[in-house]
Amino acid sequence: MTGGRILVVEDAIVNRKLIERLLRQEGHAVTAVGDGLAALEALGGDGEPPFDVVLLDLVMPGLDGYATLARMKADSRVAHLPVIVISAVEELDSVVRCIELGALDYLPKPVEPTILQARLNAALSAKRLRDLEVEVAAQQAELLRTIARQKEELSRFLSPQIAALVSSPEGERLLAGHRREATTVFCDLRGFTSFSEAADPEEVLGVLRGYHAMMGSLIVEHGGTLEHFAGDGMMVFFNDPVLQEDHVLRSVHMAVAMRERFAELASGWAKRGHKLGFGVGIATGHATLGRIGFEGRYDYGMVGMAVIVASRLSSAAEAGQILLAPRSHDAVADQVVAEPIGEIQLKGMSNPIAAVNVLGLRGAGKAGVSPKPAMPEAQS
Amino acid sequence: MPDELDGVLDRATLDALMDSLGGDAEFLAELIDTYAADAPGQLEMLHMALAAGDIAGLVRPAHTLKSSSASLAALELAERCRQLETSAKAGSLEGANEAIEAIAAELDRVVSALEHTKESYPA
Repeated sequence: MTGGRILVVEDAIVNRKLIERLLRQEGHAVTAVGDGLAALEALGGDGEPPFDVVLLDLVMPGLDGYATLARMKADSRVAHLPVIVISAVEELDSVVRCIELGALDYLPKPVEPTILQARLNAALSAKRLRDLEVEVAAQQAELLRTIARQKEELSRFLSPQIAALVSSPEGERLLAGHRREATTVFCDLRGFTSFSEAADPEEVLGVLRGYHAMMGSLIVEHGGTLEHFAGDGMMVFFNDPVLQEDHVLRSVHMAVAMRERFAELASGWAKRGHKLGFGVGIATGHATLGRIGFEGRYDYGMVGMAVIVASRLSSAAEAGQILLAPRSHDAVADQVVAEPIGEIQLKGMSNPIAAVNVLGLRGAGKAGVSPKPAMPEAQS
Repeated sequence: MPDELDGVLDRATLDALMDSLGGDAEFLAELIDTYAADAPGQLEMLHMALAAGDIAGLVRPAHTLKSSSASLAALELAERCRQLETSAKAGSLEGANEAIEAIAAELDRVVSALEHTKESYPA
């Protein structure tokens, strides 16, 4: 073992010189003092004390070994230093008292070099292990701070549920891919293309920011997972990665709330001459969810017939309409007020489907009741 | 080897000490000089404490002289100091005067024997 830094506290000058010499010839760096006050002074100062082990005599003038030990243990800066008390064999009761006070070990007098080395090496190992633990704990704390910072940063780029999923224990499995029933919501603006062609870019971005901010807060409020947004279009799904027993109802609540809040926004835009409308498509079905993309850019995505149906329904919806696919409607039929819009033929699908348009919610849903929401006139 | 050691210094202890110092006679001589300079002061403190009737004041010098003497193989002196320390701790002055006289006489023999020891190890 390489040398340590040892503080020797011993009033008998012959023994002090002898111990100092025995330690130096074993390669230790030694500071030797004659009483407790001098020892505390040597241990003083800021930061880590410059010693690994303290060898402490008990019977000393001024501040004796017991008082010195008690003061060391009361000082959090030096309390961790291993202390070996030096004691004559006939003073074993003193040794017990010292160990109760926090001493690590004792050394019988007269000092026997082999025992001195053995006890000292054990104390040095303890001190080095402790130093290592402190170092590892500091590294670990730094690592945890980094992870927390990354999580926070990640949650700005991803939906909160997906950010949480990435760092959860089951994240790897769910990201790798899984099948689950989910409800997909597509929504976009009617008249946005002609608006964006005619208006100033600042105006277009201003409208989009207002729209995104409002829709974003409603998605979070209803527990939806935003899969993506592109321009005026958004795809949100429910029941994944967080399971939601009422995922269909949640999606309808969100869509109704979106339609109401959109009406407020749209009336403001209408005053500036912009005619914009809002359409939604909702479908429920089994889908595959997980990491989709390529090395360097992955998204948490959803693939399945429900996604395609919701997308097509959104395209088919007129301004102010929330179109529900039959399976979604079945799940919430007694909780929503809806009107059939007849069979519609969706692009790329062989059979027409019987979608309904949601007029409002039955009873006092959290998104509020609005049997026939007032929507501004808009071009589809 | 010198009869001066008999009953004053313990040969085995001295050899072990010399061995642990790697045969450094110069350092042993320094240690002996330190002892010879320090021990009379401890004895003086014993005399003063006794004159003052300060029983507690006997403990520390007796303890220090015991430790130093034991380190330098003066086991007989160390034992006398230990007995004095023990009875002083117990609060007794009985026989303290005789004990200190005996310690003084033994200390003379020890210092003298140690001086001889210095010469017996090649420097």
